[in-house]
Amino acid sequence: MAEVYKVSYVVRGEDHPGAIANVEARPNVGDHIDLGGRGFTVLEVFELIPPRGDFHFLHVTLRPDLEA
Amino acid sequence: MDLIPILRSVELFDGLTPEELGAVSRLCQERSFRAGEVITAQGEPGQELFIVCEGFVEVVLSRAQNDPTPRAMVNLGRGQIFGEMALVDYGPRSATVRAVTDGTVVQALRRQEFNRLCETNHHLGFIVMRNMASDLSFKVRHHHLAGR
Repeated sequence: MAEVYKVSYVVRGEDHPGAIANVEARPNVGDHIDLGGRGFTVLEVFELIPPRGDFHFLHVTLRPDLEA
Repeated sequence: MDLIPILRSVELFDGLTPEELGAVSRLCQERSFRAGEVITAQGEPGQELFIVCEGFVEVVLSRAQNDPTPRAMVNLGRGQIFGEMALVDYGPRSATVRAVTDGTVVQALRRQEFNRLCETNHHLGFIVMRNMASDLSFKVRHHHLAGR
């Protein structure tokens, strides 16, 4: 099985509940991602707990992208 | 739809054999929702666990009955489960969960059938309950980091 990244997303700079979701590729600082139809930029990525099998457990801090 | 590849990428089922994944898939019922539609309502009886396969759901908590400002606690996307508390403690739904995006797809597992499967296959039952505890732990860690 391919690696699965289970990610805890926290949004800085606004009252946003954050999110938890599985993704297929490890997020990197500077990436632009879409969560529920809104765009965000990745500010920080770290391992929340050690990986288990094919599962990696990450924490990602996000900044909202400016609305067009 | 072949559910096996989807279930294999869900942490809850990490460690199950292909045969066990097949047994779980035969219990799944697919449901689709539009943005804003309520999937579970806080305070109501709950008899199903849900797996998010497409889209996002929002978990909303009311602090009191008729709370005018319920608080969004977290959004859950692909591969995440919700409804597991009512599955293990038989209590009412602890939060309202509604779809965030159109075309949100979930798989529902009924408590009675799922528990029966866990009781007849102890390996499956142990793996699922261990992974459910791990998932709850991850949600607590997220909650602490989100400061909500």
